[in-house]
Amino acid sequence: MDPEYYKKIGFMCGLEIHQRLQTEEKLFCSCHTEIKDKGHEIAMIQRRQRAVAGELGKVDKSAEIEEGKERLFTYEVFRENTCLVDIDEEPPHTMNMDALETTISLAHSMGMKVVEEMQPMRKAVVDGSDPSAFQRTVLVALEGRIEVNGHKIGVPSLFLEEESSGIVESDQGNVVYDTSRLGVPLIEIDTDPTIPSPKMAKEVALYLGTLLRITGRVQRGIGSIRQDVNMSIKGGARVEIKGMQELSLMDKFIENEINRQQNLIEISKELQKAKARVGEPVELTKIFKGTTAKIVGSAECVVGARLSGFERLIGREINPQRRLGTEISDYAKLGGAKGIIHSDEDLKRYNLSQEEINTIRGELDIGAEDAFVLIAGSRQMAFKSMEHALWRADHAIRGVPKETRGAIPGELCTSKFLRPLPGGSRMYPETDTRPILVTKAMLTAARKAAPDLDSEKKGLGSMVKNEAVAAQLLLSPRLKLFKLVVQESKVDPELVANILIQKFTELKREGIDCDAISEGKIVDLFDEYHKGRITKQAIDPVLRELIKGGSVEAAIAKLGLRRLSGRELKSIVSKEKGKSKEETLRNVMSKYRLVVDGKELNDALAGKSK
Amino acid sequence: MPYSEKILRALGKENIEVGDKLELVSGDFKLVGELMPKTEVGDPDTFVIKIDNGYNVGIRHAAASKVKLISKGTGAPKFESATMKSKPGLPKVAMIYTGGTIGSKIDYKTGGVYMLIKPGELLNEVPELAEMANLEIRHLFSIASEDISYMEWQTMAKEVESAFADGARGVVITMGTDAMHYTAAVLSFMLKNLSGPVVITGAQRSSDRGSSDAFFNLACAVKIAAESDIAEIGVCMHASSSDDRCAFTRGTKVRKMHTSRRDAFRPVNDRPIAYVDNKLQIRYNNDHSKIGPRKGKTEAVTGFEPKVALIKSHPNFDPSILDAYVEKGFRGIIIEGTGLGHVPASTTHKEYLWLDHIKKAIQEGVVVGMTSQCLYGRVHPDVYRNLRLVSNLGVVYCEDMTPETAYAKLGWLLGNYKPEEAKELLSKNIAGEIKERTEADEFLN
Repeated sequence: MDPEYYKKIGFMCGLEIHQRLQTEEKLFCSCHTEIKDKGHEIAMIQRRQRAVAGELGKVDKSAEIEEGKERLFTYEVFRENTCLVDIDEEPPHTMNMDALETTISLAHSMGMKVVEEMQPMRKAVVDGSDPSAFQRTVLVALEGRIEVNGHKIGVPSLFLEEESSGIVESDQGNVVYDTSRLGVPLIEIDTDPTIPSPKMAKEVALYLGTLLRITGRVQRGIGSIRQDVNMSIKGGARVEIKGMQELSLMDKFIENEINRQQNLIEISKELQKAKARVGEPVELTKIFKGTTAKIVGSAECVVGARLSGFERLIGREINPQRRLGTEISDYAKLGGAKGIIHSDEDLKRYNLSQEEINTIRGELDIGAEDAFVLIAGSRQMAFKSMEHALWRADHAIRGVPKETRGAIPGELCTSKFLRPLPGGSRMYPETDTRPILVTKAMLTAARKAAPDLDSEKKGLGSMVKNEAVAAQLLLSPRLKLFKLVVQESKVDPELVANILIQKFTELKREGIDCDAISEGKIVDLFDEYHKGRITKQAIDPVLRELIKGGSVEAAIAKLGLRRLSGRELKSIVSKEKGKSKEETLRNVMSKYRLVVDGKELNDALAGKSK
Repeated sequence: MPYSEKILRALGKENIEVGDKLELVSGDFKLVGELMPKTEVGDPDTFVIKIDNGYNVGIRHAAASKVKLISKGTGAPKFESATMKSKPGLPKVAMIYTGGTIGSKIDYKTGGVYMLIKPGELLNEVPELAEMANLEIRHLFSIASEDISYMEWQTMAKEVESAFADGARGVVITMGTDAMHYTAAVLSFMLKNLSGPVVITGAQRSSDRGSSDAFFNLACAVKIAAESDIAEIGVCMHASSSDDRCAFTRGTKVRKMHTSRRDAFRPVNDRPIAYVDNKLQIRYNNDHSKIGPRKGKTEAVTGFEPKVALIKSHPNFDPSILDAYVEKGFRGIIIEGTGLGHVPASTTHKEYLWLDHIKKAIQEGVVVGMTSQCLYGRVHPDVYRNLRLVSNLGVVYCEDMTPETAYAKLGWLLGNYKPEEAKELLSKNIAGEIKERTEADEFLN
């Protein structure tokens, strides 16, 4: 799409990048950050959380909604990865200075101003993902800037905070959390909302992801980095989309959100024109006595409501496979309902008879332009859910609500409502731990360690000609190893890159994890090659042997892969009497392929007389 | 630690106070935000400013730092308050506030801690209380429990007496947790002829966080006070790390056994009298004095002798310290001995022998009691020779009492009885502090 288009629709977009750090310990306690004992919990604890008044006595809107769900939270507790600090039974320890140093070094990379005394804060969290009901967080630096493909993007703030717990399962509002990753240091980078297009958003995310990776101090793997998009269009509303697993699909998600907001704006115009109104909840349970419609028949209570002027609009598609009705249904789920039934659906699907439908229409006084929604369940749940559903329906008349939305996994790249956008009233000081005065020594160390993406790219480019391999290496956890090997063994960097990227990946597909081999052994291996003690072809089998343990030397000896010397080669060649060069080459290679250097063999053959 | 002179001067010139909105230009920074108070920790030469996104940032004062007032702040925070209506038919429960984590509320902006003293503010926090009882809030003081002295205990006991006299069915006392078990024990001795439950509760996590134990502890405490048939004093706190039930444990048998866990309060040599589950159902679990017809009113007998010491014996302890206590006019000493109630009695290192010093104290009229630092189990005066040597001196072996309960008891006895009577009563059960039998499941619960 043409860049002018996004300007015209008032597209605003910024990113929030969350990246887990690879430190020995968690941010405020000494638990391992590497997940050690998943699946072996030593205890399960259950807690209820309630919304407490935020700053200025106001309970945060999203906190209120979460509490409305009255959820019971269960926490899995582990020996190595959980301690009393994690489960809100012990005050935090001193902040992890390694994590802070990495964060400050990133601040330098983005030209930010580092706060002089760090003030740990508590950010209220009410989805239960933190047993303390808040997340500890520190604003580390302000007012930076990055340049991506010629675009300057502001980076107003950089935070260091605690990772939340992972959801194990969620059933009817009861959530089980895994506390093993809780409290792992997490960096948050925010950009200004000035990213000009969905495609640029993807590129900025990629840039920041790479910058984080080349620090060599971030965790890898699914969920270790999360890119949230904050966006809006003119006439729409600010929406935060969380949980996009595939960075490559980010632009599609954003395009879809633009479409969703445009469709909702269109719907709101039509609703306003139709003078749409949202009715009151009415109990309809008695209509369904003896009905064959299972959902309404088996429920303790059925609540209905009229949506005047909504006819056909609830069923209108606003995103692939998502309708206004889907949005309303997601709000109803806040109250515990499984979903809603609405009049734009084929009601026969629910086994509702025409007579029953007529009775519903009669009871709710449904006119030709009107629609209705039904919710079935326990009395309290049905009414509570209807309250949320009607709030959403009513908002459809006004336009697009501000929301936090979750990406729906799959190719469609759509999202669904998770909760209202949190208000600003969720921060207060963490008084259990001291502020940290940043020293000159910390700043110097951080500056030294600051990653520089441009020079890193240039440096790699000069060493590795294959651009695809160089690009992969830049993002790879083996970048540090690559530099070490090149520095220590003086082997051709191109070969090292090929082995570390292509060979390692190839072996991984076979189930051989070369990343488990110590860095020292990898250096030794290349050193053996550099000194001419093994051939290039021998690297593969030696790697396969090294994974079983033992030294490089032992592996070479065990496999008999010591490279043949020129003299040995000559003597072998001379034994192939009466054979052509080609035949000799074939014979020697079939027997000695792994220990013979091709060029040397050629030299030997050249000297061969018939 | 407040702001440094330099900072205060800079702020003073511009008439800027904590809570005001200001512009700060210092070094690379130019920030607008609210001036936050300085806590006891942190660098006094650093401004703390709350910026727009809610975060506080610390910026060092420099010679070239400039501040400018943008607007004055709004002053102390106002907390939301629910209206409290008396509901006919509900029992009257007095709630006595003494301070501590549970009765306080954080100002989310500054992190400052304020006392909640209006009943409505409390009800706003724990609305379910209004369904259980008509609460009458009595604000006694706002202190941390480690700052409590016997004078506060006396005031608290009199307040309980007056609450019952005013028709309360039960009483809830909220306080800090550190000295809660001392308080529970002392009040157990001070309050006589109880007409209803006296429930002490608190919180290990402050109520600013949604995960605070305060809400459930309070609900369970009010439940016990409003509905239980218990006529005793006890502590009602979480029974486990989960929010699944609270335990109500006799005041003379309860002890804080963990610095920070919400289930820190455990019975020692006893079982909880009752549990309250998360549906607020009471389940009785142990014998207890019951509410019933009784002669006369609940009475506070508040004499207390503060000159009682609690001393822990350990290797290399210099026992001549006991002489100093005697010289200082102490009238009672509770020893936390080792094991069954030992102190060094046969060592060849004469300087570590306790016997002569104990003997001297007793001769001077000091009542000496022996407990065990094992906490669990009972002391015994006769099993070993060394025990016999000590008990022969006239040391009172305090049975299965915790050291803290024995301390509270001796202080109370010496405040109300002659020394010889106090000595006699120290080993006799008065308020459930001594049990003749210890059952098998009364260890490490």
